[in-house]
Amino acid sequence: MTPEAAIVLIVDDDPRVREALSELLEAHGIRVATYASAGEYARAAKPDAPACLLLDVELPDINGLDLQTQLVGAHHPPIVFITGHGDIPSSVRAIKHGAIDFLTKPFGDEVLLAAIHAAFSQDTRLRADRADLERLMARYETLTPRERAVLPLVVSGLLNKQAAAELELSEVTLQVHRRNVLRKMGAASLADLVRIAERLKIPVTHARHGAREA
Amino acid sequence: MAMLSEVTGTMSDEPTRAAMMVEAVVGNAWATDAAGRFVYITPGMLAPLGIVREDLNGSDDPAFGWKPLVHPNDYEAAAASWRQSLRDERAYDATHRLRAADDTFRWGRCSGRPVRDSENRIVGWYGAVLDWEAIRERDRELSQLVDMVPSHVWRLTPDGEPTFFNRRMADYLGLESTDTALGGLAELIESVHPDEVCMFRETLGRSLASGEPFSLRYRLRRADGAYRWMSSRAEPLRDHADCILQWYGVCHDIDDQVLTEEALRRSKHQLEQMIDALPINILSFDPARKLTYASKRYLSTAGMPGEHIQDFEGLAREVSHPDDFPTMFNRASAGFANSEPFVNRFRRRCMDGVYRWIEARAQALRNANGEIVQWYIVSIDIEEEMQAQEALRERERFVWQLVETLPAMVDCASPDGEPVYRSQQLREFLGYELEGLLDTNGSRLMQTLDAGVHPDDLAAVKKDYAQCLRTGEPYARRHRLRRHDCEYRWVETRAAPMRSADGAIVQWNVICLDIDAEVRAQEDLHLAQERLARASQAASLAELSASIAHEVNQPLAAVVWNSHACQRWLAASPPNLDRVHVTVERIIRDANAAAEVVSRIRALFKQTVAPHHRAAIADLISDVGRLLGDRTSRMRVEIETDVAADLPAVPFDFVQIQQVLVNLMRNAIEAMEGHAPKPRLGVRAVCDGEVLRVEVSDNGPGVLYPEKIFDAFFTTKQSGMGMGLAICRSIIESHGGRLWAERNRAGGATFAFTLPTHAPEPA
Amino acid sequence: MQQHSLRHAPSSPDPVGAEQPIVVVVDDDLTVREGLSELILSVGLNVVAFASTQDLLASGAMDRPGCLILDVRMPGASGLDLQHRLAATGDAKPIIFLSGHGDIPMTVQAMKAGAVDFLTKPVRDQALLDAIATALDRDRSQRATAEVARHNADRLKLLTPREHQVLAEVARGRLNKQIAYDFGISEVTVKLHRSKAMRKMQLATVGALIRAWETLPAHVRLPPSR
Repeated sequence: MTPEAAIVLIVDDDPRVREALSELLEAHGIRVATYASAGEYARAAKPDAPACLLLDVELPDINGLDLQTQLVGAHHPPIVFITGHGDIPSSVRAIKHGAIDFLTKPFGDEVLLAAIHAAFSQDTRLRADRADLERLMARYETLTPRERAVLPLVVSGLLNKQAAAELELSEVTLQVHRRNVLRKMGAASLADLVRIAERLKIPVTHARHGAREA
Repeated sequence: MAMLSEVTGTMSDEPTRAAMMVEAVVGNAWATDAAGRFVYITPGMLAPLGIVREDLNGSDDPAFGWKPLVHPNDYEAAAASWRQSLRDERAYDATHRLRAADDTFRWGRCSGRPVRDSENRIVGWYGAVLDWEAIRERDRELSQLVDMVPSHVWRLTPDGEPTFFNRRMADYLGLESTDTALGGLAELIESVHPDEVCMFRETLGRSLASGEPFSLRYRLRRADGAYRWMSSRAEPLRDHADCILQWYGVCHDIDDQVLTEEALRRSKHQLEQMIDALPINILSFDPARKLTYASKRYLSTAGMPGEHIQDFEGLAREVSHPDDFPTMFNRASAGFANSEPFVNRFRRRCMDGVYRWIEARAQALRNANGEIVQWYIVSIDIEEEMQAQEALRERERFVWQLVETLPAMVDCASPDGEPVYRSQQLREFLGYELEGLLDTNGSRLMQTLDAGVHPDDLAAVKKDYAQCLRTGEPYARRHRLRRHDCEYRWVETRAAPMRSADGAIVQWNVICLDIDAEVRAQEDLHLAQERLARASQAASLAELSASIAHEVNQPLAAVVWNSHACQRWLAASPPNLDRVHVTVERIIRDANAAAEVVSRIRALFKQTVAPHHRAAIADLISDVGRLLGDRTSRMRVEIETDVAADLPAVPFDFVQIQQVLVNLMRNAIEAMEGHAPKPRLGVRAVCDGEVLRVEVSDNGPGVLYPEKIFDAFFTTKQSGMGMGLAICRSIIESHGGRLWAERNRAGGATFAFTLPTHAPEPA
Repeated sequence: MQQHSLRHAPSSPDPVGAEQPIVVVVDDDLTVREGLSELILSVGLNVVAFASTQDLLASGAMDRPGCLILDVRMPGASGLDLQHRLAATGDAKPIIFLSGHGDIPMTVQAMKAGAVDFLTKPVRDQALLDAIATALDRDRSQRATAEVARHNADRLKLLTPREHQVLAEVARGRLNKQIAYDFGISEVTVKLHRSKAMRKMQLATVGALIRAWETLPAHVRLPPSR
């Protein structure tokens, strides 16, 4: 799939900074969108493209680092911090919480672009992963309740006989369900299904009787 | 009597014979016949008168022959009485005056008795003539005697009827005469006091009846109504047959005596009461130490001495506490032996068996010859007193112990400051005893101070102490005192005078607290605070520089990016000249903005300097000297200040210049630390034309780079950002002055700054 | 003396071995070494200090469980160099940087390279202790994971090449008959190899195989070439 053009989202309250950075990135042929505050960014619609969040630390409404903490869990682009006066603890915190980089003004274009590109790569990957997961989840949605019950049993390695007994089905019926699950989830093999289940974080609740997991 | 019988034998008539018998006995006698004619009369009676018997018979009155002898006034009565007697044949008794030799008359008593014959016919009369005068004289004398006797005399019939009161009694009773017929016994009884009247009647009755002598005391009413005590005794007069003829009594006025007796008795009673009431016990012993008296109180306190106890020793042994007996008995014995008073304190057993402390004082009573007649021993209970004393002693002990164990060093000194007592803590601290200080080495006070006080503090301590001793003002001072292990410890010494009731100082009480730990802690705190101040200074500086950096960085960053962008637009093919224009304009704009920020900050800095007040640099210098006082004293830095007297007051920001001075002085001190054996810090202020110059000099290693050291971030110190001097310079320069450093010729460095004497022009 | 505490006190002994973790300090400043050692000992941890990275590497301290506290600027090899080197050799011992100097790019670099924390002197005792606790936690879990991987790798060595190959294919998700076709062997043989391999690996289910397979480093997974 062709990704939409990557975009840099600049959040800085200083108009000169927004202006100059936009100029610079555009000179490098990179899409830019600017916001004057964290609130403005939050309210804005996020473009559906790999993105990099260029975040000032000293924002009028919130400290950039705090915004980073708030965004944890939500799907947000990788963050590159830019700051007028940085200190080591802030930079440590930024990186600990997953920022791509922490740049202190004035910084040159090379270091900026390196960070941006690293961010783009990461975001592309993340988005792909997310898309995969969404696909899988969509597939999971198509499973019937009975199939959803069969899935964890099969994935945990129970023999068909055991799984059938567990669900009080005939082995034949179970096998039917098993085939359907594999098909619907797009798994070519049990190994595939195991991986899919892991990605979907379906708990392995059963152990094969007498078996011990390594 | 032989002659009488001869004579009478020859007489013929009886009367004559009788008369002559009388005459022989009495003296003057007479005899008449039955008709009354004198047949005989003592010749002695008539001879002086020149009369003979026959003369008497020839008188006019045939019945009474005496007529010529009798006083005319008495004749009639006498004659009548003779005639009566003749007629009645009764005895004749008359008292009349008779003529004496010299024509004087003398009273005489004439008595005649009839003589009867065997047929009881009167044959004659015989009689006697007694010299009544003499008798009357004697009578009078007797009467007088009876009347004059200072007592009341009375006479009763055997029935008890009073027949005679002497004059006194009569007067006492208020009777007109001694004629007691009036009233009689009844009236007499009536005069007796109602309280005694029964006893009187009874006693008198008994006596009258039994003949036993009567004896009674009673009150008798006097004529004026007052009662007086009488002591009455009466005894019967008996005849030869032992029959009572009369009762003779004496009634002696004993009223005064009785009153006295009563007074005495009352007084004795009072005395006894007093003795009993006084909270003292009294014992008396005779010279042989036998117990003669024990007061009631003694008896009720200590109990009756046992039967076997006779004397002092016995009693003492019985009642004294066994532990106290030896001493008290020895002392008592010595006293008795020497006849000296003595005092004993010992425990005596009370009736309930409990021992109580008593104090017994013995005193001898001497008679007129100085001999001892009694030993009196008075004792009082001093149990409470003893207990109080014991309690007091206990308290004293307690207080003593308190002082000794107080975790403070206590010293007591006489009014001149000489130490008299030191508590254990102080003794241990100093490591020597007070007694170890010999007087020969000077006063103990001086010895102690010289030996103990830190040399640097000694002079001031002595001065202050002397002042206080002189004025009596309390003393309080901190100084260092050498401990027994030769370590100097900071102590706080406080002394306060103790005064007598009239305000004079009797003692100085000194307390010495070891405050070394506190002082060091304070020093540490001070240092820490300084460090903190410097750190916060540094922090605020960091903040300041951070915010400055930020202000500047923003436009600079924009410039950088615009520049980069510009480059790229230029490098594009074809070059995007529109964008180039835009970016270049922005560069210029933003660069200017950055420059503006810098100048704005500089202006801001200058503005804080603006409020200047004229102040005396001398005050500032002494302030800073005080601020750094602890440090300079600790490091033994000698400070020399040389502030000219005529310095003008110069306008400057006190806080900022203080900061500069502190910085410079602190630097100087630190420079000298470890480098100068005798660190000397000099602060000098002079007026030099238009400026005031302040110099801070030290004798440390000096400065290697006199200019470079003012650069920001240059420091030769281990720690520190090196901002101090740079800031100092900007402060001074913003005041319009200069700050520079010089090397001293004699070693060390001098940092000097100038302040214009007039306010600088605002920049 | 403040009372310090670890966020997580070392409760259970190291499951991998009976070895107690050691905090390794590398700093050229003696007072720092002494001060840190004192602090770390005071919370009941073992500590050993070195004046340089050379000294550290010469000792055997790197083999023990624990973490590193490095200064950044030292004569000779710097702390960052060491971090780089360890990463290159695959040694994942957690590093805490403690430095009196430091600029942001250096800090960022160190953090991105995987440091647990980057602290500046003077450091608050509690901050350092918290970092140490996090580092030791990380070390523990890393070691546990590595242990599992090693365990699996060791058992993998027991497999014959063919068994290895078959298992790899199973893990990839290939069905037995597909594997038989690929290798030109019968399905029965495939099943035989598979079951033997699974037994040697002590794995009971495909799920277990997948999980075990994922612990293996890539080069280990690769079966010897045919």
